Amino acid sequence: MDFFTRRRQQAADTGGLGVNLIALRLDDGDVAPADCTVVVFNAAGHARRVAPGKVACEQGESAFCFHPGPYTIDLIPFAAAPEWGLRLRFVVDASNPRVSQQRFDLYLYSETSGRLPLSGFGASVEAALQAELAQGALDLPPCTALDEWHAFRAGLNQLMYTRYGVTVDDCVPVDLGEQIDFADIMIARATRAAEAERHAAVGMHTLDEQAADLPSGPGAMSPLPPQPTSQNDAQALRRLFLELPALSRELRLLQLPQGLPIFEQHQAMLLRLGMASLNVTTMPALAWAAPDQPLGEEDQHRRSRHTLVARDALDEAWSLLARFQLAADDQWPQLLDQADRICANLETGLSLRRAPHAERLEPSL
Amino acid sequence: MTILSVTATPAIAECRSILADGRVLTITASRRPRANRAEVKCSVPGAPAVAERMQEVVRLARHTEARFDSRDQVVLSMDIAPGGAERDWELAAVLADRSVRGLFQPAAGVQTFAHGWSDNWHLGRLAGRADGGNATVGTMQVTHLGALTGHADPSAAVSSVRAWFPLHSGGVNDELAWVEVSVFPINVGAAAIDVTADATHTAANSEEETIAAPGLDLSTQQEIRQTIAGARDFDGKGLGRWRSVVRFGQPRFQGGSYQLALVMADRLARGREFVPRGRVIATGCSSAWHAGRVDTVEGREPKLELILSQVNPGDRVLLPKAWEDGLPPGFQADLRQKGATLACIDRIGMI
Repeated sequence: MDFFTRRRQQAADTGGLGVNLIALRLDDGDVAPADCTVVVFNAAGHARRVAPGKVACEQGESAFCFHPGPYTIDLIPFAAAPEWGLRLRFVVDASNPRVSQQRFDLYLYSETSGRLPLSGFGASVEAALQAELAQGALDLPPCTALDEWHAFRAGLNQLMYTRYGVTVDDCVPVDLGEQIDFADIMIARATRAAEAERHAAVGMHTLDEQAADLPSGPGAMSPLPPQPTSQNDAQALRRLFLELPALSRELRLLQLPQGLPIFEQHQAMLLRLGMASLNVTTMPALAWAAPDQPLGEEDQHRRSRHTLVARDALDEAWSLLARFQLAADDQWPQLLDQADRICANLETGLSLRRAPHAERLEPSL
Repeated sequence: MTILSVTATPAIAECRSILADGRVLTITASRRPRANRAEVKCSVPGAPAVAERMQEVVRLARHTEARFDSRDQVVLSMDIAPGGAERDWELAAVLADRSVRGLFQPAAGVQTFAHGWSDNWHLGRLAGRADGGNATVGTMQVTHLGALTGHADPSAAVSSVRAWFPLHSGGVNDELAWVEVSVFPINVGAAAIDVTADATHTAANSEEETIAAPGLDLSTQQEIRQTIAGARDFDGKGLGRWRSVVRFGQPRFQGGSYQLALVMADRLARGREFVPRGRVIATGCSSAWHAGRVDTVEGREPKLELILSQVNPGDRVLLPKAWEDGLPPGFQADLRQKGATLACIDRIGMI
């Protein structure tokens, strides 16, 4: 009966693949360009890579196609120094036969909806890099010496491979002074401050807007477009659901240094991640306190905020995995301490997400 | 209090503040396992409203931190209750909360006094103190929380950055002094008119005129102007864009070993240098800043000793290249143990 089916929508626009578009989602019957790779996910989320051409999906399957690159992005490692950047060239490598699931496929499946533009990917990488530098996991100090630069490069390459599944080809420091003028940014800040003052003098209440568009300290993330609470929450939970098992699998495969204490801590970490995964799988719906008891708007906001705490812990756990993979034996205790912190954050976020109301009375002790 | 290493954070920290009636208020912070309790608990004898405000302040100020840790509960308490309208203790509460988690290292062996309040704790900006001045920690004035490590306020229209340099005055009075560079952009239209009106001035001369160093003697002022103008010339992008003000924490000193710190602060303030997590501690001078060269300075042993005793986690130490061979054995390892990094450089800029 295929003869009678008619395509209702237009074929996907594959223009820009390899230039400013890394990947996009295809429907059954779309044709992928010849230099791309097609990844088909079945209903259970297992991926298989197939040759380009006409995409054939079965019931419940979805397909992405990506161009291997190379791509070039400019990153600003420190928000406070916008004129100095890093120019990163990366490729999406051919599949690694030694792992059952390619990290890039998982990234596509869990974090990409529809299209993955190069600019969006760059913003995500930049946020991850800034967070790593602010926490001291990577080090890029002023007047970087050559050995410090090599250490930074090794950490960055591993981070990009572990967190995103892309291979860094080349990374050089660049002077972005031609494109970005810090003086102009400062003038814009001054005008905005003057405007806010004028509004305040008129008597308008601008505190909220001001707070919204000013970056908040060194760890400030790039501003994302506002999304409805429920969508944010669902996306974060989906990521946790898909990525936590993959993450614990990778952590289980690490080569441990000798010694019982480290083995025990490693086992405890895996157990906690497994429990967190179970916690995510059985997470109650956002909008309901109990059957027949809808939850108020404010409590929904609070719940989804805690989902985001858990999601941030997941991001940190991926970068921690990258550090584990490079770590020498004497760095393990320190990294296991970080793992303890991340597991605690994950557990706190999830348990507060689970609670319908914020009734947390302090015990009198 | 002894010097803290990266891993060992204190179990108890104190920070003080002087109330309007002259009494000394001590805010004590301690840590304990969280065990499903709130992340901050505050208690003030006989003033539950103040305790509530303290909890709000500390929670908001934690939004400016890079690392989120939900393992511990911090318990904050005041020994005496301030009046309901007083707010200068707020900064002391924030610093006590940070000290007990190892995020703020007070100077060793000195009681920390802090005064300041804010309506924007979530942005880390400080409004000042009740008497109208800037907020203070010890004797240092701060306008936002990042200024404690010399960082620029990410939301202010003036970018001011501090860098530290060792000041050797013979033994007990050795200290790390700071130099602060504040820059704000010259409105380009207005600057163009200036240039046409006064066409005889060369670019370097007009750059030197935009740099002010109030409160210093004339020869030092001239030296500062030449240093910054030379380094900006080397940088290539800094000329003719900024109006700058240079201030020193300790205005009476001799010698030129502050120059590298000054140049680094200037580069950081103009957003053209990678930012260290902690402070920049630098010593070095140069006869050729326009070529970016860093020359050696005197007083190596006492300065190295001072740096090693004062350094905090995240700090970046920059020394002249000529000192590299004469570093005491284990100096670099000791710095690394304390969480700081060291580079011996013969020119500024990347690598």
